[in-house]
Amino acid sequence: MRLFQVAAAGLLFLTGVVGAAKADELADVRARGKLICGTLGTAEPFSFQDPKTREIVGYDIDICRKVADSLGVALEIKPMAVEARIPELIQGRVDILAANLGWSKERALQIDYSYSYFVSEQKVLVSADSGIATLEQLSGKRVSALKGSSSEQGVRRVIPTAETVTFQDSSSAFLAVVQGKVDGFCASELILMKLRKQAQASAPMSIIEKSVFLEPWGLGVRKGEAAFKEQVNKVLADLDASGEAGKIFAKWFGPGTVYDMKQDFKIEEIKG
Amino acid sequence: MGYVFDPAAVLTGQYLDWFIWGLATTIALTVAAWLLGMTIGIILTLVRMLPFRSLEWLVAGYVEYHRNVPLLVQILVWYFGVPQLLPRAIRMWVNSHHSEFLLAMVALGLASAAYITEDLRSGIRSIPKTQYEAARSIGFNYLQAMSYVILPQALRIVIPPLINQTLLLFKNTSLAMAIGVGELTYRTREVDSYTFKTFEAFAVATVLYLAISFAIMALGSFADRRLKLEIR
Repeated sequence: MRLFQVAAAGLLFLTGVVGAAKADELADVRARGKLICGTLGTAEPFSFQDPKTREIVGYDIDICRKVADSLGVALEIKPMAVEARIPELIQGRVDILAANLGWSKERALQIDYSYSYFVSEQKVLVSADSGIATLEQLSGKRVSALKGSSSEQGVRRVIPTAETVTFQDSSSAFLAVVQGKVDGFCASELILMKLRKQAQASAPMSIIEKSVFLEPWGLGVRKGEAAFKEQVNKVLADLDASGEAGKIFAKWFGPGTVYDMKQDFKIEEIKG
Repeated sequence: MGYVFDPAAVLTGQYLDWFIWGLATTIALTVAAWLLGMTIGIILTLVRMLPFRSLEWLVAGYVEYHRNVPLLVQILVWYFGVPQLLPRAIRMWVNSHHSEFLLAMVALGLASAAYITEDLRSGIRSIPKTQYEAARSIGFNYLQAMSYVILPQALRIVIPPLINQTLLLFKNTSLAMAIGVGELTYRTREVDSYTFKTFEAFAVATVLYLAISFAIMALGSFADRRLKLEIR
């Protein structure tokens, strides 16, 4: 009985903590003079520490800066762990999330997504001598993914018979493929291209051509902040129209980077 | 619009199943690693009491390694490092046969063995040396003196610190998540990632961890009461 009381008290405490801020975000940010943007800080080229300046830079940061500029306020970057993203946003410690937020119907019940500002192509990396060339060949096999990513959900959906194993970071998930502990590693094509390039000499890898699924990423805002969300969407739409979005994309993913990609998605509302 | 705290939302359908699997895996890992840790802990203690300096140093080295290297590193070494040392054929077999649970169990068990052997040693040292000498003088050899006279008393004395080790081991199983063992923390984060209901997912995990911890404590104090020696 005492055990139950302790548990109940714990839950009550949590509830108290959770029922946090609600106000007009847009007015709050303006009054504060600064936009706080939550980001991962470990996801090159979206948000990562520049080895020279020791500052967090990347595609996500540039997009956040544009939102801050539009409001005429300064930008503050707050790096955070994957599982801290949602609590930080809900409790109002950050105003906006630019943190690899892949859209899913269920996730969208908890936070609001802006227009998509990136579309991630999820592919599977396999060892070059494994003889696996199609997604179908992965049925019944083991596939690694990153914890907290939607790649794992994608694998379950597309290859239901495959077993998923998730790891904390991409190097562990990659090592698991190299050592044959799993047969494939599902992640954003960007991560896979970089890893394949790095391991070219020691452990030749290949990437299965067909993508598992396409995942639109949005900026995350708290539920019920219609005016703020509209502002963010307006910024994104303007960036797209003026061609600036394309420039930011080219800076991080275009020719001259390891990815050498062309922008093949539009900035638009995410529809399920 | 405020935030609604609703634990029931993560306790339905597949999410409930994940929590149950996670809890079952956590318990299985705890029990398996505990048995391994106890066995090796007792063996190490016996080896350490033998009158050979070199063996004593060996055990001391074992204890220091496992106490001073972070447990997470030990788990990663067992998962990513040790299989690479095996002959290729065995390695391929190990790597493709769900080795994560087994290797996590080995890493956790060996690490707890280091702490258990220290606890046992302190228990043995609390038994007056004269009892050992008396046992030897009536004709018991080393093993007999240990197993009939010293260990039965020492093991009872160390029940409280051993409960402590068991609780630590139980909580440490969450580190196995790093190598993809689907235990409770792993499943919790999976639920979080699917639903973004972070508070609820971790609240459920907290209650489950607390409940099992209390159960271990209750079991331990029951054993302590039942087995306690009447000291006259």
